[in-house]
Amino acid sequence: MAEALLRVEALDAAYDAVQVVWGLNLQVQAGTVTSLIGSNGAGKTTTMNVIAGTLPARRGEIIFRGEDITTKPPDLRVGMRLSLIPEQRQLWPRMTVEENLLLGAFPRRLRGKAKENLKNIYEMFPRLGERRKQYAGTLSGGEQQMCAIGRGLMAEPLLLMLDEPSLGLAPMLVDEIFHYVRVIAARGVTILLAAQNANYALQFSDYCYVMESGRIALEGRSEKLRCDHHVRRAYMGAAS
Amino acid sequence: MDAADFVNLLVSALLLAGIYAAMSVGMTIIYGVMKIVNLAHAGFLMLGAYYVLELHERLNIDPLVGSVLAFPVFLLAGMLVHWTLVKRIPVSDQPTLASLLLMFGLWLVLQNIGYLIWGSSDRSILTSRTLSSMHLGPITIPTVRVIVFIPAVCSLGLLEFVLRKTWYGRAVRALMQNRYAGRLAGIPVEKMARLTFGVGIGFAGAAGGLLAQLYSFSPDFGHGFLLRSFVIIVLGGLESFWGAAAGALVLALVETFSILVLPAGYQPAIAFSLLVLALVLLPGGIAGIFAKKHRWA
Repeated sequence: MAEALLRVEALDAAYDAVQVVWGLNLQVQAGTVTSLIGSNGAGKTTTMNVIAGTLPARRGEIIFRGEDITTKPPDLRVGMRLSLIPEQRQLWPRMTVEENLLLGAFPRRLRGKAKENLKNIYEMFPRLGERRKQYAGTLSGGEQQMCAIGRGLMAEPLLLMLDEPSLGLAPMLVDEIFHYVRVIAARGVTILLAAQNANYALQFSDYCYVMESGRIALEGRSEKLRCDHHVRRAYMGAAS
Repeated sequence: MDAADFVNLLVSALLLAGIYAAMSVGMTIIYGVMKIVNLAHAGFLMLGAYYVLELHERLNIDPLVGSVLAFPVFLLAGMLVHWTLVKRIPVSDQPTLASLLLMFGLWLVLQNIGYLIWGSSDRSILTSRTLSSMHLGPITIPTVRVIVFIPAVCSLGLLEFVLRKTWYGRAVRALMQNRYAGRLAGIPVEKMARLTFGVGIGFAGAAGGLLAQLYSFSPDFGHGFLLRSFVIIVLGGLESFWGAAAGALVLALVETFSILVLPAGYQPAIAFSLLVLALVLLPGGIAGIFAKKHRWA
């Protein structure tokens, strides 16, 4: 198998004295959708933040595009085209939708192409175009998620990490957001998706990791895990 | 009080508000991006005053030009201070004791450097306009106040433009609103903090130069203005430039009109009282009132 786009090895992560991720190994192959499922508090968000660089790794290695990025600051990782769309959107509420999107292209390399990329985002999410002069804080939950995804795409990522993109959204909007995730994947962007909603995650991904209390409990091709007894019972609401 | 007196007071309050806003904006921007209360602000106001004085006395440079020239010099000085001292403090989303102590200590050091170089006697900058005044019908305005007001307001306008229209400015606003999101978007936080600290100190230096044309000063200069700056940014809601401008206006109006009811000796108490009132009644500042109306997420 070719070298993975992202390889995480023996990763430990902690908030001060509280360790939350233990010896995590994970690979994301280029051109695939990989999902990371697990219940609330399993360590998915922590893992995503360590890969994005906003939380330092306590031990272990993160290799992206064949380069060790374990100690790189987040802005350099964005520069290497690794982007995280965080849990809870994290927009700038008192800036306009357009300003939010534009700042996604902050790294110098991207600024020249910002106008063009912005147009593409508006084509993909016409609702954001309609609301571009509005403060991001006034958008609905679904629109905010689109804005967050748009901001991530402005950085032209090779690997896009999505942390709980459907959190707090109505079921209809969840479908819509996952539709966009599929569109983005079809354009060749590699995706790492963290979700509590295992039904969706397993349906959309090629490969899946199951996290339980800070460790990878199970991994495999998604279609296989869909049939796995433990996964069905613990994460998909099947009767035991 | 007749109408002319009222207008006179109103005009002088407005002129005062301009310089107050320029004076406090440096503190606002540093607080917003780094959550550091820059207690050394007063020290840089003082150094700005002496900088303009020295340029005026030695090189015969007009104090207005001197104030403008103070900006780049203090910007670099501020970046140096950040690079040598401030960046060693752990980054936090709340003001930390460490940062307060560092900035307070820096203020003491700056003050004592001032005493070493310039001694403790009061100095002032005298130009041909210091004692002249302008007459507009029944209104009399000291010329120097107008002359100082104009660059103060222009600098605020320029800052507003930078914050709205440039990559740097948008990134500053982003870091004020959500630092975490800024890091994820690829904004280099430490570089931005260094530059912003420089800009904040640059504004302090320039504002010090402007204040020096209105008041006499010694190395102890800035105490009262530090307190006022603090009141202004608390009134303004700590992170909003429009809030700070409104805070400056409120403070200037209250100070100016208080002479009608309060003996001049009580003037210093006004800023303190406003601070207490603001903390009790308006914890979100003036900007907070509007924020509530719109229910921003």
